[in-house]
Amino acid sequence: MKISHHPSEELLVSYASGSMTEPVALVIATHLAMCPACRRIVADAEATGGALLEELQPQILRPDALNSALERLNNTHGAPAQKSRSNFGAPEPLNSYLSRPLDETKWIHVTPWLAIKPLTTRGGTRAQLIRSAPGSGVSLHTHRGEELTLVLQGGFSDEYGHYGPGDLQTATPETQHTPIADMDSYCINLAVTDAPLVFKNWSVGVIAKLFGF
Amino acid sequence: MSEGTDLNSLLVLVGAAQDRAAFAALFGHFAPRIKAYLMRLGAGSAQAEDLAQEAMLTVWRKAALYDPAKASAATWIFTVARNLRIDAIRRERRPAFDPNDAAFVPDADPPPDSGLERAEDGETLRAAMEVLPPEQAEIVRMSFYSDKPHSEIARELGLPLGTVKSRLRLAMGRLRQAMGGRE
Ligand SMILES: [Zn+2]
Repeated sequence: MKISHHPSEELLVSYASGSMTEPVALVIATHLAMCPACRRIVADAEATGGALLEELQPQILRPDALNSALERLNNTHGAPAQKSRSNFGAPEPLNSYLSRPLDETKWIHVTPWLAIKPLTTRGGTRAQLIRSAPGSGVSLHTHRGEELTLVLQGGFSDEYGHYGPGDLQTATPETQHTPIADMDSYCINLAVTDAPLVFKNWSVGVIAKLFGF
Repeated sequence: MSEGTDLNSLLVLVGAAQDRAAFAALFGHFAPRIKAYLMRLGAGSAQAEDLAQEAMLTVWRKAALYDPAKASAATWIFTVARNLRIDAIRRERRPAFDPNDAAFVPDADPPPDSGLERAEDGETLRAAMEVLPPEQAEIVRMSFYSDKPHSEIARELGLPLGTVKSRLRLAMGRLRQAMGGRE
C-alpha cells in the first residue's frame, strides 16, 4: 500500500493524548492500521505522554491505597479472553463498527450516485461510510468544520491530488474542492465531519442538510 | 541501572511472574502520578484516586503484554491511564488498531531500538522536554492535559491556529530527535 496523504501531526498527537472524540479517533486509528509511518509518530507522542506522567507532581494517596490494591489483586486474574468478533474484511478498529462486510453494506442513497452508512456520532461529529459511483463527483463545496476522508476502496481525485486506499484527506473551512471518484470502481470512504458541507449549488445543499453529510 | 530501566524491569516481572513486590513498587511510583494526571484533566480527588487504583489493576492484568523493546513502563502505563479515562470519564470507546488483525499493515523496518536503548529514551526525552522553549512546552502540555482539539487550545490562548500547530510541530521534532533522531 503506497500512502501519500497522512493526518497532520496535531491529529496524531491528539489521538495519542486521548483528547480526540470517538468518531475522529475511529478514522485516525483505521489509517494507523494501514500506515506504519504514522504509527511511529503516535508512538513518539505516547512516549511524550509517558515523560509528562513522570514529571507530574505526585498526588498523595489514601493511607490504605496500596493495601486495598494488593487485596484486590487476589481477585484479579490474567488478561480477560479477547471477545471473538466477526471479521468483515475491514481493518480494526473500523471492523468492530460494522455489522456486515463492506460489500454488503445497507446503503442509504442520498443521490443515485452517492450513498452513506452512518457509523457513530458524538456531539455534532459523525463518522460514516460514503460510497460514490465510478466517475461521479460531489459539486464544488467548502466545509464549515474539519472533515477527514479515508479511502478504503477505489479512489478519488480533487484539486489537491489523487487519493487511493489508506490515503487520508483533510479538508478545513479554507478548502474548496470538487472530488471525483475514479472511473473504474466504486469509491468507498470512511469520513468524519463536524459540520454540514457548504455547497456552491443550492439543490445539492438541501440534500446535504437533509442527510447531514 | 537507572530508575527508568528499573521501572521497566519491575513491569516485566509483574507480567512474567505476577510478582506482588514488583507491583507494590510500581504502584508506589505510578499511582500517585496517575492520580495527578487525572486531576490535571479535571477529575476530583476521590474519583482520580479510584481510577488510579483501577488503572494499576489493569496494569496487573495486562502486564504480560508489555514489551520493554517497544516502550518504557511510564509510556505503557500512560496509555493504560489514558484509555481508562476515555472509558470511565468520557464514556467513549477508544478506537484502536490491532496488530493481530489480518488487515493490519505491519511495519517493514526492524524495530529501531533494543530494549535498553528505548528505556534510556524516557530520561533523554524528559531532559529534552525541560529545554524546550516555554511557548512550545506549553502547547505540548496543553495537548495532553486540556482534552481539547488544537483549534480550541488556540482560541483559549488567543493565538492563530497556525501558530499553535507550528509550535507543536517544532516541539515534537525536537523531542523526536532526542528519542533517536527519527525525523
Ligand atoms: Zn499515515
